[in-house]
Amino acid sequence: MADVTTSAPRLRHGGGLNLRFWLPLTWLGLLVLAAVFAPWIAPHDPLAQDLMLERLPPFFLSGTETGYWLGTDSLGRDVLSRMIYGARIALFVSLIAAVTTCVFGSALGLLAGFYGGWWDRVISRLVDIWMAFPPVLFAVLLVAVMGTGLTSVIAAIALIDWTRFARVIRAETLSQTRMDYVDSARIGGAQRLSTLLTEILPNVLPTIIALLTLEMGIAIIVEAILSFVNLSISTDDPTWGSMIAEGRNAIHFAWWVLLFPLIALFLSVLSFSVLGEGLKQRFDPVLQ
Amino acid sequence: MTGPTLDILSLTVALPNGTPLLRDVSLRLEPGEVRALVGESGAGKSMIGKAVLGILPPKVRMTEGEILLQGQHLNAMTPTTRRRTVASLSALIPQDPLTALNPLRKIGPQILDPLRRIHGWSAERARTRALELLERVHIRAPERVLESYPHALSGGMRQRVLIAAAFAPSPRLIVADEPTTALDVTVQKEILRLIRELQKETGTSVLFVTHDMGVVAKISQKVTVLFAGKVMEDAPTAQVFTGATHPYTRALIAATPSSADMSRPFSPVPSELISDLHAEIAREDAARMGEHR
Repeated sequence: MADVTTSAPRLRHGGGLNLRFWLPLTWLGLLVLAAVFAPWIAPHDPLAQDLMLERLPPFFLSGTETGYWLGTDSLGRDVLSRMIYGARIALFVSLIAAVTTCVFGSALGLLAGFYGGWWDRVISRLVDIWMAFPPVLFAVLLVAVMGTGLTSVIAAIALIDWTRFARVIRAETLSQTRMDYVDSARIGGAQRLSTLLTEILPNVLPTIIALLTLEMGIAIIVEAILSFVNLSISTDDPTWGSMIAEGRNAIHFAWWVLLFPLIALFLSVLSFSVLGEGLKQRFDPVLQ
Repeated sequence: MTGPTLDILSLTVALPNGTPLLRDVSLRLEPGEVRALVGESGAGKSMIGKAVLGILPPKVRMTEGEILLQGQHLNAMTPTTRRRTVASLSALIPQDPLTALNPLRKIGPQILDPLRRIHGWSAERARTRALELLERVHIRAPERVLESYPHALSGGMRQRVLIAAAFAPSPRLIVADEPTTALDVTVQKEILRLIRELQKETGTSVLFVTHDMGVVAKISQKVTVLFAGKVMEDAPTAQVFTGATHPYTRALIAATPSSADMSRPFSPVPSELISDLHAEIAREDAARMGEHR
């Protein structure tokens, strides 16, 4: 036969509809929209109490009042509205806290891994010592000392979790520093610091981004834990953690007060960690 | 009459605990000469090149000796001057082309940056020279290669790119650190041929690290045989193959498989010889320790 076409099948990892990438992105996108446009979207004032409407069940059960889609809590506050406003705090805390943690921890990790010697010894010992503290207790203690409030929560998260970045990025930097291309750059006359920034940092970046998204999930959890024990921000402000804490008291007759914020929390944390892996693949030209 | 390109005088390199990796190594590389460094793995042959280029592994230190590059004492220099001097006079063809290029940067800037940074060339000049060299090492579509990421190229292509990059600034010295070890046999021949041709054209001196006596015969004029960081033999290549003086060298040559004579049984370097040599070196080390005390 004369015309034989040979077309080698090509595997593509980057293209196509990648659900592991798009599903978490969709959920987080919705969350961001809810957070930004909360005053316009939320059907009710999240703080408005109405004892006549207490513990209304969600829309799919009987005995509901129209307009209260996910029911109300023991004080008659709309669960959906509180969740939407809660997303604001959750996202704000996770973004600021995770970025702070990431910058601080990654910088120390890069320095320790690249320069070695005293840098490494001091930073690694500090990480070891730091990690010996039980993290949640440490956070509770910090907030108790610094006083409640958003800044304290963010500071507490950064102070606890920088070790995660420092440790992982140090190891990653260490293995990249051993690569021949770093030697080649050195022989090519590159300065030490510029080798770190132009050769090594881009190679460590996918890991940093994966850790960053993971950290955002963790920050949401820590904020929820602190809210749960009333150490986050004022108890009036709607946060997912404080909703869960309140819902716990009424779980036998108004389970929805606890369940819906819990689902939102769960989905957000899951989305962040799955998205981290997806992003890592996107940023790596070798994996594409 | 110019002096040697590279002159190494009693170089000793050691781990922090005092274990020597190179013992009192001296060698000289004349302009336009190719010198092979042979020895089994761990003999310290790569260490010599690394000491010259200033890329010794962390914690490994040069404890004694002198390295002169184009007559300049490298040890006497500040780290910055030393780095500039080495960068402007020498280049490396690395062992593993797969890790020698940064996977996240395009080939172009990786080759062109050193030319501009060290040799002060214009972007235009660096690019022209790089393209010329890439064509010289038989790379088709060199413009496209400059725009590619390393993973798009095969191992053999990457090694050719690295050879082009090493020769581009016409350095006085090139350290070729087992440049064919990571490649398959068919590609090896081509790579060797390219290095030899470019070396002849540019008149660059090459320090060629290898463990393959067959490669030594093909490429070098002089040979330094190393064992446990110590020079066993230093002689012109032809002489080494016809009448090596040191028993270890003779054993190495005898151990080289020959395609011309397949019937000849494979004869590894006798283990008695190796243990004798180790014992001798241990005695010398002990004697030197005694001296210092």
